[in-house]
Amino acid sequence: MYKALVCCRAGMGSSMLLKIKADQVISENKFPIQTEHGNLDSLMGFNGDLVITMEDLSVELKDKVPYALGIRNIMDKEEMKSKMEEFLAAKEGK
Amino acid sequence: MLKDMVSEKLIKLQIEADNWEDAVRQAAQPLVDENKAKMSYVDDIIKGVKEMGPYIVLTKHVALPHARPESGALENAIGVATLKTPVEFGNEENDPVKYMFCLCATGNSEHLNALAELAGLFEDKDFFDLLDRTTDPAEVMAYINKISAE
Repeated sequence: MYKALVCCRAGMGSSMLLKIKADQVISENKFPIQTEHGNLDSLMGFNGDLVITMEDLSVELKDKVPYALGIRNIMDKEEMKSKMEEFLAAKEGK
Repeated sequence: MLKDMVSEKLIKLQIEADNWEDAVRQAAQPLVDENKAKMSYVDDIIKGVKEMGPYIVLTKHVALPHARPESGALENAIGVATLKTPVEFGNEENDPVKYMFCLCATGNSEHLNALAELAGLFEDKDFFDLLDRTTDPAEVMAYINKISAE
């Protein structure tokens, strides 16, 4: 099971909606990913595998976290699904 | 519940804005007027976008302006605003923004059910059709009451 942190700047708005949608996609596809949510401060001390956030933030995070997954359209389940598949493929390729 | 966080006074329809900052300020003003947020909260929304990019634009034509609770959130609330002329936020995927849901959350988890309901509304074409045609906040509130009760 991989641990994902869903975060945004405030940890109140985008990240919560993002978590709702991410959990839907994860359960529909039975992905081995578990999500928790937080703000940018939660990143410090986060020891999981993956950070899910909005695209603009993910660009800034790329070098700071193990894997940053940036979502452009929160309601686009296909985008979310394919990006999670990319993450899982990258993990399994190791 | 979403219906408990929105009220007619927090709904501003068909506003005319010069740019994204003006749009956010107009959409968030009712939150300040109704003592849901301090002006510093609205300032922090603007600051966040300037620093981090338009991450509050979540899906096609929809923005969820919000800031950190500690910047001046007083009560959990959500404002609803539509723009007469959509504005660019600089979000390539989802611009231009036409619908804004200003979230004010104080940091507890009371607003989570409301956000889940809001996520459902984002998929509700009838809701956006209503937002496109109405100028009456009561009509929008009635719709939210209806879905929020189901």
